[in-house]
Amino acid sequence: MGEAVYLDYQSAKPVDPRVVEAMLPYFTEGFGNPASLHMAGDRAETALEEARAKVAAFIGAQPEEVLFTSGATESTNLALIGYATRNKRSGDHVIISEVEHISQHNIGKYLEKAGFRVSKVPPDQFGRIRAEKLRARIVDETILVSVGWASNEIGTVQPIPEIARMLEGTGVALHVDAVAAQGLLPIDMASVPVSLLTLSSNDIYGPPGVGALYVRKGVRIAPVNMGGGQERGLRSGTENLPGIVGMGVAAEIAGRELSAESARLAALRDRLIESVLSTIPDSHLNGHPVERLPNNAHFRFDGIEGESLLLSMKDEGISVSTGSACSSKTLEPSHTLISCGLLHEEAHGSLEFTFGRFSRESDVDRVMEALPGVVDRLRRLSPLYKTE
Amino acid sequence: MKSTQYSEKTLDHFRNPRNVGTLEGENVAIGRVGNPVCGDLMEMYVRVVDDRIDDIKFQTFGCGSAVATSSMTTELVMGKTLDEAMAVTRGDVADSLDGLPPVKMHCSNLAADALHDAIKNWRSGRKLTPLAAEEIAAAGVGCGAREATVIEGVDDYEDTGVYKRVDDPAALADKRVLVLDKGVASAEFALALTEFTPRVVFLTELDVLGLPEDVAGRVKRSDVKVLFQSRLLAIRGEGEVEKVLVHDIDEDSEYELFVDAVVLQEV
Repeated sequence: MGEAVYLDYQSAKPVDPRVVEAMLPYFTEGFGNPASLHMAGDRAETALEEARAKVAAFIGAQPEEVLFTSGATESTNLALIGYATRNKRSGDHVIISEVEHISQHNIGKYLEKAGFRVSKVPPDQFGRIRAEKLRARIVDETILVSVGWASNEIGTVQPIPEIARMLEGTGVALHVDAVAAQGLLPIDMASVPVSLLTLSSNDIYGPPGVGALYVRKGVRIAPVNMGGGQERGLRSGTENLPGIVGMGVAAEIAGRELSAESARLAALRDRLIESVLSTIPDSHLNGHPVERLPNNAHFRFDGIEGESLLLSMKDEGISVSTGSACSSKTLEPSHTLISCGLLHEEAHGSLEFTFGRFSRESDVDRVMEALPGVVDRLRRLSPLYKTE
Repeated sequence: MKSTQYSEKTLDHFRNPRNVGTLEGENVAIGRVGNPVCGDLMEMYVRVVDDRIDDIKFQTFGCGSAVATSSMTTELVMGKTLDEAMAVTRGDVADSLDGLPPVKMHCSNLAADALHDAIKNWRSGRKLTPLAAEEIAAAGVGCGAREATVIEGVDDYEDTGVYKRVDDPAALADKRVLVLDKGVASAEFALALTEFTPRVVFLTELDVLGLPEDVAGRVKRSDVKVLFQSRLLAIRGEGEVEKVLVHDIDEDSEYELFVDAVVLQEV
């Protein structure tokens, strides 16, 4: 067994050493509370606003449209609950795409308990939400639609510009979870009329525990946690300065390297997809064949189960994911795969590879050395797989 | 991975069920569904005051999730108006329990049904008397709903996803298509469809392909996904077909399958 191979970048990413270096001074001599009026406070406020400008530039937004949070989940809570609460007088209906991360569906459940009606819109077999299907769900009381820029799980990219233009001027706000897409696809709020956009720091190789919410100028939300009124009163709590500085630098690097890095990752992805589909019989690609994230390859293998696949790959020194990492906790098959039309046993046989900044050609070689044998061995144990 | 794993919430409701018991009096209605022969029997007792559920109790014979869903149903509707309670679905019950294993969704269906039955009985003035389980078993009632041959929703999606007959498979290009087993013609159609879409599901009630050997062989070697011992119960979707409810006859369980089209291919 050679060096460990990590191909689960959608679950967690290492922090870029350049980011760590930029953060370090803010733990020690660069410390300060941006609200303080003395020198340390001024220094902290300057650093905070510089980071805000960098994150804004990364998504083509104005700095005052960016709020810092403790991560993507908090950003999405603030977006969905904050918007729905603030705009309840306009209506009580919210639409969430079926292929969103489980955390978003749980926010949807919370909204239902709080008196809102939540509809889910199913995708096509490739995981795409069609704009016209979404339109058919909209009623007079609809105030908010939430569709992710891309699926963190199957990698399918949604037609966000088309959906955003469809909703523009209708009074229905659009929230987009951009966590899986950021740093891989260009995101430009100046040209795509999204109302609210969730960002995560770790997903662009920044520190974990930091995120941001883009709130378009004129879009009104209510805070969901109360306190000292930081972040324009919308996200109270003393700012995590080192973390925010780190996210700013991470956004700067991600924006600068995006097009070259995406092309590099897409080449790795394509080689893996072609190798797997041509080498392993009865293997299938999940998600969209073309409209997919440059770093995502998601397969299923007839007759075997994803967890045993994952464990066998682990024995080969290769870290991958099966279904959604979060859903394995409940031991339920991935709701995303089910909504694409897969049967439970098919969803259970899925394996997800996500490449990242430190992935190399040799990682694909290692996978192709190990995976065919692993699949073959497990199929010989399986009562469901019969060769004829 | 086990599909029988229960959520903590379900286990909690199973271990400590809320509102167990019966109610008596003029303003009490009783609802009952299921059959012990099928493994489930639920009774809901509802006390109605000013069109609201003033109190609710249940008694259930069945598995862990049958108990948990009954308990959750009583919690969900306590104090609600009858209209609000009628709007509570099996999905709501399952969601409130943080989800149920797919093979158990049938049970949560029964809890909501028992509640709705009680409300309907209240509104119609029909008085049920509490029965012992063995009496119902002795009455020899079949597993009614399971035997239904009518597919719910089959007439609701004409031209929006349900096709009595399709001549050109290209019309269903790139759709997820469910083809019901109606013999050789339907199997040939399913095979032809694989040229136009990667997702073709062939649903048969049999446990083998009841087709001539050469046709069966071609189906086996094709990309057609065959669901054996399966029965189509319902077609669902908002405005067009979005999913179907399938009954797995072998496991006596139900699950949803997302599809875009259902082809009956009647001859």
